Amino acid sequence: MNHVDIKKELIKMLGPDKVLTDELDLMYYSYDSSFLTKLQPVTPNAVVLPTSTAEVQAVVRLAYEHGINIIPRGAGTGETGGCVATEGGIVIDLSRWREIVEIDVNNMQVVVRPGVIHADLNDELAKFNLFFPPDPGSSKMCTVGGMVANNASGLRAVKYWTTEPYVLGLEVVTPTGEVIITGGQQARCIKNVSGLNLTKLMVGSEGVLGIVTQIRLRCFPRPKARGIAMAVFDHLDDAPATVLEVYQAGVLPSGIEILDGSAIKAVNDFKPQINLPDAEAILLFEVDGNPPGVEYEGQIIKEVAGRRARQVEWSTDKQRMAELWEGRSITAAAAARVRPDGSRIFAGEDISVPISKVAEVLRAIRALGDKYGIKVVNYGHIGDGNVHCAPVINPEDPHEVELVQKLVDEIHLLAIEMNGSTTGEHGVGAARRGYAVLEHGSAVEYMKKVKNAFDPKGIMNPGKLF
Amino acid sequence: MDFRELPPVKEQLMKCVRCGKCRELCPVFKEIGVESAAPRGHVFMVQMLRDGKVEPTPEVYDRLGQCLMCETCSANCPSGIDVHELNAAARAYLSQTNPNWGKDLLFGNFWTKPDLMKQSIKLASLAQRLGLQKLARNIGLTRILPGDLKDAEKILDHIPPRSARSTLPAFTPAQGDTRYRVGYFLGCGTDFLSPEIAQATVNVLSRNGCEVYIPEGLKCCGLPHIANGKLDVARQLTIHNINLFQKLNVDYIITDCGSCSATLTEKNLRFVLQGTPYQEDAAAFAARVMDLTVFLIDVLDIRVDVHTGQKWKVTYHDPCHLVNAQGITAQPRELLRRIPGVELIEMPNAASCCGGSGTYSVTHHQVSMQILDKKMSNAASTGADVLATCCPSCIMQLNHGCRRSNWNAEVVHPVVLLDRVYQEALTTV
Repeated sequence: MNHVDIKKELIKMLGPDKVLTDELDLMYYSYDSSFLTKLQPVTPNAVVLPTSTAEVQAVVRLAYEHGINIIPRGAGTGETGGCVATEGGIVIDLSRWREIVEIDVNNMQVVVRPGVIHADLNDELAKFNLFFPPDPGSSKMCTVGGMVANNASGLRAVKYWTTEPYVLGLEVVTPTGEVIITGGQQARCIKNVSGLNLTKLMVGSEGVLGIVTQIRLRCFPRPKARGIAMAVFDHLDDAPATVLEVYQAGVLPSGIEILDGSAIKAVNDFKPQINLPDAEAILLFEVDGNPPGVEYEGQIIKEVAGRRARQVEWSTDKQRMAELWEGRSITAAAAARVRPDGSRIFAGEDISVPISKVAEVLRAIRALGDKYGIKVVNYGHIGDGNVHCAPVINPEDPHEVELVQKLVDEIHLLAIEMNGSTTGEHGVGAARRGYAVLEHGSAVEYMKKVKNAFDPKGIMNPGKLF
Repeated sequence: MDFRELPPVKEQLMKCVRCGKCRELCPVFKEIGVESAAPRGHVFMVQMLRDGKVEPTPEVYDRLGQCLMCETCSANCPSGIDVHELNAAARAYLSQTNPNWGKDLLFGNFWTKPDLMKQSIKLASLAQRLGLQKLARNIGLTRILPGDLKDAEKILDHIPPRSARSTLPAFTPAQGDTRYRVGYFLGCGTDFLSPEIAQATVNVLSRNGCEVYIPEGLKCCGLPHIANGKLDVARQLTIHNINLFQKLNVDYIITDCGSCSATLTEKNLRFVLQGTPYQEDAAAFAARVMDLTVFLIDVLDIRVDVHTGQKWKVTYHDPCHLVNAQGITAQPRELLRRIPGVELIEMPNAASCCGGSGTYSVTHHQVSMQILDKKMSNAASTGADVLATCCPSCIMQLNHGCRRSNWNAEVVHPVVLLDRVYQEALTTV
C-alpha cells in the first residue's frame, strides 16, 4: 500500500472527520511545546482523531501490517517532542476523546478516556468531594492520557507524588493491535500485587509500548483547608536547609516552591505591584488537610523557617493566599517576558537533583548562564528537588540558539553529575534521549528489549526515550 | 507596510512557546478539536507564512479564518502575544495576494458608505416586512443559497425599518445643567440592527447632563474590515473618523458597542495605523473614547431615583470585546444593579463567547451555532427573563439563540432597560 492508499483506508475506517491528510493540516502537528520542535518541526504523514478503542485498534493494526510508525498525542503540551513524528508516521491525537466513563465513588476511583483534561476531571470529582492529586502546571490544558504517558506531576508532588501511584489499571492497544487490560481484568480493588506490574511499566513509557485508551485512577478525599507560608531568605543555602528542617519537624507540606533571585527579579520587573521582597530566595509552603491540622502545621513551618528566614508570613485567608502565591503563579509568564526581544525556551527545563544539592545546582546554573551570556530564570519544586530553569534568548538568532544548546547540555550533565536526573516530570521524548546511556548505562539495553517484546516492528513512537 | 515588518509579526512570533494554554480557552478549538483551530496553531501558521514555508493561498486563509477574533487567547496568553493581531495581519497579507471581488465589494466599498448601507438595509427591511424572506424560506428558495447561508440567513430575523441615524438629531441638548459634551460613536450594528439602543443611549446621556453630538459622515469603526483582511480599508476609516471627531470639541467619545470601543482603543489603533503619521492623533482620540457603561458608572456615577414597579430577572453576557479586549466586566453589571427593579443573576461562564462575532455567524455558521447553544444553555439555567449584553452583534446572535432554544427571554443592552425605567416613570408621573 502506498501513502495514498493508507490515507484512503484510514478515512474508510474512521470517517473523514477523524482523519487529516491535507499537508497544511498536518503541519500543525509538527510541534509541541519543546524548543526542539520549534527549531525542527516534523510534519507527520497523517493524523487521526479516534474516539473509541476499536478505532485506535483499527489504526494500529493497519500501521502494524504495513510497518508504519504511530505516534500517540494528547494536547501537545509536552516539552520534549515526545508526541511529534520525528521519524514520520501517523499521529494519533487522542485529545478529542474526553469521556469520563465512570466515577466510582464507593470505591474511590474514576475511569476516564485519555483525552480528558486534568482540570475538568478534578472539577467533576469535586462534586463528590474527591480529587486526583497530581497537579501539573498545565492542568487546564493537559490530558490525563498525556499525564499517564509521561508520569506527570507538579506543584503538589511533595505530598501526593506523581501520576503513577494513582493509576490502578489501564486499557492499552499494543503495537501489534491487541487490546490488553493491566491491573486486573475485572479489578476494582485499590491494593493489587498480582502479576507483573504492567501498569507501572506503561506509566511514563511515553508511548513507546502502546496506546493507552482507558485509565482507572485512584482518587483521594478532597482536602477541606489550605494555608500558605512565604519565607524570605538572604542566603540561598538557607532555603534548602529550611526545607529539610521542616521535614525534620514532622511536617509534609503539599508543595514547597522556590523562586531564586533571578525569578524574584523577573516577577518584580513584570508586575511591580506584586513587589516581592528583594532576596536571594523565596520559599512558598502549601499545607492542606483539615483546618486544625493545617493551622498546626502552618505554625510549625512559621517557627522553623523563622530560624533562617528574614521574614515569614503564614496565612489561611483566601485573598492573602492568592496574593502570596501570585509571585509563583506568574513566574513562568514573567520569565517569558524578561527580555523584550526574547522568549523563554523549554529546554533543560526539568532537571531533578537531591534536595541537599539544590542551592549548589542553582548557583552552578547561574554561573553557566553567565558563561554563555544567557539570562536564566530559576524556579521549581524544591520540596522534591525538581528545578525548572528558563533560559531566555532570541530564538531567531542562530548564534544565541547555538549558545543555548551548549548551555542546556551543560545543565543536563550537571544534573547527572549531582546524582540527579535530566528530567523530573516532563519526560525524555526526543529532546533528552541522548543522555539515556549516561543516566542508565547498560539498563538501556534492557529497556530496548522490553520495547522489542511489545513492539517487534519498532513502530511505536520511535526515536524517543533512548 | 510589508507584512513581515508589522510589529506583531516582527516582535511577537518568536515569543510563542506553544504551551497550549490557548487551546482550552478558545471557543472554536473547543468545538472543532483540531490543532489548526488552536490559537497557537494560528501563531505557528503566521510564522510559516512569514518564513515562506507556506504559500499565501486561500487555503491558509481558511485555516486562519477559523478564528472568530474573540481575543480570549490574547487576554490570557502567558507570553503576552496578541494572537488576534497576528491573525489580522496575516489575513490582510493573504487578502492582498488573493483578491476576492465579493469581499472587495462588501468591505472595500459597501461597508465604507453609510448612506449606501442605509438604503440597502432599508430595502432589506422592506422585503422582510413584505414577507419575502419567509416566502423564500417557504418555497425553498433559501435552500439554494451556498454553504450554510440557507441557515445563516435566519439570524437576521428582524431588520428594523429605519436606522438610528434616520431618526436621531445630530445634536441633543443636555437636560438641566451641562456636565459634559459627548460625541456619540454610533456604530453600524447599533445604527442598523438595534436603533433602539441608540435612542436609549442619547436619552440617558441627555437626561444625565450630557450634550450629545452625532457627527455627520461617521463611518464604521473598521472592525469588520480588520477581521476580513481589509486592514487598509480599516486604516482609511479610522483616519476619517479621527479627523471627524477632531473637529468636534467634545469631552468624551462614547459608544454603546463593545466592539467599537475595543476597535478604538489606543492599542488597537496603534496596530491599525502602524506605519502612518496618525499615531499621535490616534492616541489623543483613543484617550477620549469610552464604553457607555463605564462612562455612566465611573464618570457620571448615575443614581436612578425613579421607580416603575417593574421587575426583571436579568442575566448578563460579557461581550468578548469588552471583557477580553478591555477588561470591562464590573461597570455593565453595576449599571444593571442600579436600575430599579433589576435582579442580577450570574450565569455560568458569562465571559464565554456567544459565537456571533459579526460576520462569523454567517461565514462559519455551524461552529458559531455550536458555541451559541452552550451559551444559551448557561444563560437559560439562571431562570432570568432578560438577557443583557453590551454589543449589538451579540444581541443579534443571542436573539437567534433564544429562538433556537425556544427560550422566551428579552435580549437587551442595559441602557435600554434604564431608558425604559426613565420613560415609564415619566408617563406615570
